[in-house]
Amino acid sequence: MAQITLKQIGHSYSGGTRPGDYALCPLDMTWHDGRTYALLGPSGCGKTTMLNIVSGIVTPSQGRVWFDQRDVTGLPTARRNIAQVFQFPVIYGSKTVYQNLAFPLVCRKWASDRIRRKVGEIADLLDLGAKLGKPARGLTADEKQLISLGRGLVREDVSAVLMDEPLTVIDPQMKFHLRRKLKEINDRFKLTLVYVTHDQDEAMTFASEILVMSGGRVVQSGPPEHLFEFPQTTYVGYFIGSPAMNFLDAEGQGDRAVFAGIPLTTAYPGDRVPQGAIRIGVRPEYLEFVATAGENVLAAMVVDVQDHGGVRIVEVEVGGARVKVKLAREKPVPEGPALLRLPPGKIRLYRDGELVPLD
Amino acid sequence: MLAVTLNAENLSVSLDGTVHLDHVDFTLARGRLYTVIGRTLAGKSTLLRVIAGLLEPDSGRITLDKRQFSGLPVWRRDVAMVYQQFINYPHLSVLDNVAFPLRRRGTPKHEARRRAGELLMRVGLEGFETRRPSQLSGGQQQRVALARALAKQAGILLLDEPLVNLDYKLREQFREEFRGLFAGQADMIVVYTTTEIGEAMMLGHEILVLHEGRLLQMGRPADVFERPASTTVAEIVNDPPMNLLDGHIADNTLHFSSGMGATLPLHMVALPPGRYRFGIRANDLEMRPDGAIGGEVIVAEVSGSETFLHLDTAIGPLAVKCEGIHPLALRTQVRLALEPERLFAFSPEGGLVAAP
Amino acid sequence: MPGLYRTLKYAAVLLWSAFVVAPLLWALTTSFKTINGVTGGATYIPWLDYKPSLEGWRELFNTSGTGVNIGQPFIDSAIVTLGASAISLVLGTLAAYGLSRFTYRAGFIRNRDIVFFFISQRIMPPIVLAIPFFLMLKFLGLLDSIPGLILVYIALLLPIAVWVMVDFFNNVPREIDEMAMLDGCTPIGAFIRVVLPNSLPGVVVAGLFCIIFGWNDFFFAFTLTFTRTQLLPVAIVALNSTVTPWWSLSASSLISVAPLVVVAFLVEKFLSRGTLAGAIR
Repeated sequence: MAQITLKQIGHSYSGGTRPGDYALCPLDMTWHDGRTYALLGPSGCGKTTMLNIVSGIVTPSQGRVWFDQRDVTGLPTARRNIAQVFQFPVIYGSKTVYQNLAFPLVCRKWASDRIRRKVGEIADLLDLGAKLGKPARGLTADEKQLISLGRGLVREDVSAVLMDEPLTVIDPQMKFHLRRKLKEINDRFKLTLVYVTHDQDEAMTFASEILVMSGGRVVQSGPPEHLFEFPQTTYVGYFIGSPAMNFLDAEGQGDRAVFAGIPLTTAYPGDRVPQGAIRIGVRPEYLEFVATAGENVLAAMVVDVQDHGGVRIVEVEVGGARVKVKLAREKPVPEGPALLRLPPGKIRLYRDGELVPLD
Repeated sequence: MLAVTLNAENLSVSLDGTVHLDHVDFTLARGRLYTVIGRTLAGKSTLLRVIAGLLEPDSGRITLDKRQFSGLPVWRRDVAMVYQQFINYPHLSVLDNVAFPLRRRGTPKHEARRRAGELLMRVGLEGFETRRPSQLSGGQQQRVALARALAKQAGILLLDEPLVNLDYKLREQFREEFRGLFAGQADMIVVYTTTEIGEAMMLGHEILVLHEGRLLQMGRPADVFERPASTTVAEIVNDPPMNLLDGHIADNTLHFSSGMGATLPLHMVALPPGRYRFGIRANDLEMRPDGAIGGEVIVAEVSGSETFLHLDTAIGPLAVKCEGIHPLALRTQVRLALEPERLFAFSPEGGLVAAP
Repeated sequence: MPGLYRTLKYAAVLLWSAFVVAPLLWALTTSFKTINGVTGGATYIPWLDYKPSLEGWRELFNTSGTGVNIGQPFIDSAIVTLGASAISLVLGTLAAYGLSRFTYRAGFIRNRDIVFFFISQRIMPPIVLAIPFFLMLKFLGLLDSIPGLILVYIALLLPIAVWVMVDFFNNVPREIDEMAMLDGCTPIGAFIRVVLPNSLPGVVVAGLFCIIFGWNDFFFAFTLTFTRTQLLPVAIVALNSTVTPWWSLSASSLISVAPLVVVAFLVEKFLSRGTLAGAIR
C-alpha cells in the first residue's frame, strides 16, 4: 500500500480564504504505509472533508495530495485505486457473495481460475467462505460490510482503505465481532487504513494513531495512550476518556501550582511551571482517597456517588470546584468529608487551553 | 388521581411466531425509576409498547391502582414515551411540538405555549423555540422529544433506549442530566430501557433484567449486580459479560475443568462437592507478571478510559478489563492473576449458589 | 474542450425546447389569424406577415344561439373535474392511509396486491370500460348528466390518488402516529393533525394528477354524453366542420390549456415554498 502525503491541504466550500471560511484549515500530514489512522471528532469538524479529499470526491481548494511519489490531486476517485467502505453497505443484492467479491476482478479482466483463487482466499479471511453461493441480499448488516471491505481487498494494487463510520448500521451486539475481524485483517494485511468516526472508543480501539479534529483543525494527533495521558488541549481532555478529565483553576507561583491556596507538587521541572493563571488537569482514574494528610492532599466533601457497576463515580467538592473520582467497586467510598490526593506525576498544566509541555 | 402502582400479571406477547414477552409479572411504584436491561430483542421495547397500549398482550393484564389498564386505548392512557429514534412532528415548530400534548388536553393555546417554553428551558433548548426539528442536531431533537413527553405530565413515563443513537460524550452528558430531571418527578413511574449496565445502575432505583422475553431478576441495582440470580443475569449485568468457567469442588479444593486448581475461598466452604460453573468479572482479573494463568491477546478494545482485553488462556477464553489505555497488539503474551475470593459459583443449571 | 462540450449541451437543450414550445407558439399565432392568414402559406410575425384578428376568439363565445359557445362546456368541465378530483382525493387519501398503516389479508391477497389492484384499473384500455360504464349510467338514469360523469371520473381518478398517497404515507414513520396517539389524539385525530400535514406535498401532487387526467379526458366525455351535457374537449372537437376553422380551434385549445398552466404555477409555488419541498423525492 501507499504512503499518503497531504501538502498544505485545505478546503473551503465557499472558496474564501479567511479563517472562518475553511471546512478544513490548511495542514501538512503524512500517513505511513501499513498504519491505521482514525479521524475523530463531532460532526462538522472536517473529518469527512479530509477523507473525501483523499478519496477524490472533493477537490481541495488548495494544496496537493500525494500517494507515494505520485501527485493525485487532479485524479478522479476511480483512478486513485482506493477501497472504500461507507456507513451503509454498498453491495449488489441480486448477486451472490462470490459474484460480489469477484466483480472488481472481472472488471479488470482477470482469468477465471485466478479470480477463483483470490476470492476464495479473501472469503476465508472474512469468514464468508461458507456463504459464497448465497445471494448477498439475505446477509446480515455486518456481513454486508465485510463484503464491502472484501471487494477492496481482492484487488492487489489498492493504495489505501478508507472507512467512513462503517459500524453505524451494525447492531451493538455484532459490533464486537466485526471490530475484531477488522483488527485481524488489518494486522495481517498491514493496510494503510484511514477511519472516520465520532466514537472515541472505536478510534482508540482501531487506530495506531488518532487525529482529534475540531472546527476544521487537527487539535492533536498521536497514539491512543498518548492522547489519554497528555491531552494537548482541554478539549481533548474532555473528549477522550469517560468521565472527562477534571480541570481546576489554579495559579502558577514559583515551581508550584497553587490551587485554593494550597501549593501542589507536579512532575514539571521548576522553571517550566507558567506563572499566573493556569488550569490543572487530572483524570478521574488517577485521583485517590487517602486516610492521612500529606503532600498534594486536599480536604474534599463527597456530594454524589454514581454506581456504574464495576466502578463508582464519586463527585466531590474541593476548593469551590467539582471534581469526579473514578473508584473501583471494591474500594471503600467515603461519606461526607474526605481527603483527596492528586498524584504529582499525573497532574497536567494548561495555559490558555493548551498543555504546558513537561520537558 | 395519580397512579400509585402499575401491576403486570402474566404478560405474554408473541409476534409473527417469535416470543417477545413470556409470562412477565412485576409491580412498579410511583416516584421511582426502573431501568430495564437486556440485549437487543430481549423484549424491552415490546414491554414498553404493551404498557403504552400500542400493542395488546396475548395474555395477562396490566392494572393501574388495581383498575384494568390493558383494554384502554392509547390516547386515553396516562402514558408518555420517548423513542430511540428522535420522533418529533416535522411540520411543527419546536415550541408547538412541546405544546402539542397540552393542546390535546384542552389547555388554551397561550398557556400551553408558556408551559412549553418553560420545559424547553429545563431541557436546555432556550432560544430554539421557532426552529423546525429538522434544523436541530440529533441530541437537540431528542431534547425536544423529552420535553414533549414531560409536558404531558403523565403518571407513567416510558423511555426506550433514548440515548442509543447519540454519540458517547452526549450520552455521558444526558445521563447526568437525567438524574436531575427525573429526581423531581415524585408523581411518576419512569421505565427506562437500556443495553448498558452502567447506565441502568446509575439511573435506576430498581433494575429489571429481561432476557428472551422473560424477567430474570428484579431488584436494587447493587443487589442485582452483586448477587446475579443466574449465569445469564451475570452475563447481562457485566460489561464485558462475566467470564464463566466449568469446574468442580472436591477435597476442599476448587478445580477448573482445564486442570488448574485453587484453594477453596471462604464463601464457598459450605458448598457440597460436585460440578459448578464459576464466574469472575473482567475487572477482577489482574494482569501481573507473576500471574498463574498464561494467555494470549485476541483483541484489545478501548471503552471510555478502560481497556477490554479478550484473551485465550490456559483455562479458556477470558475477558479482562483494566484501567487506562493499553493498546496491546494481537497475540501479545500476558499473565493473569485470579483471586478465588472474587469468584461466583453457579449450579450446573445456572442458579447462583455462592457470591463473594 | 470544456467550451465545446458546453456549447453542445446548450444546443441540445435549445433544440429540445424549440420542439416542445413550437406547437404552442403555432397555436398562439394561428388563433389570431383569419382564413386568409392560414391558407396563404406559413406566416409567423403579426402585422408584418399577416393581419392579426380576434375573429377566432369571438367565434367561441357566440351568443346568438345558432353558433358555438364554449362557455358552458368550460364551466361543466370545471365542475366535473374539480368535483371528481376532490371526492377522489378524500376517499383515496383515507384508503391509502389504511393501506399504509394496517395489514389486510384475504386469502393470498395482501396490502401490496390491493394497491396493485387499484392501479391495474388504469392498465386496461378505456374502450373496455366504455360499454359497461354506458350501461351502468343508463341503468341509473345518469347518462348525459354531470353527476354521471363525476361518478365515472371518480372511478378513473381514485386509483391515481391511492397510488400516489400510499407511497407518501409509507414515508411518514409509524412512530409519528403512535406519538400523536400517546399525546392524546384518536387515530383519526392523529391522521388529520399529524400525518396529513406531513404528507401535504403528496396531496398536492395527487390532486394535480387528478385535475390533469380529469380535465384532459375526451374519451368518456364523448361516449357518455349526447346533447344536454358537453365537456370542453368534446366541444372543441365539435368546432370542426367541412372547412376546418384553424383559428378558433387554436384559440379554444389555448383556453383549455390555460387552467392547467395556472394550476401548475400554483403547485410549483407551493412545493418550492418552505420546508415541505424536501418531502418530494
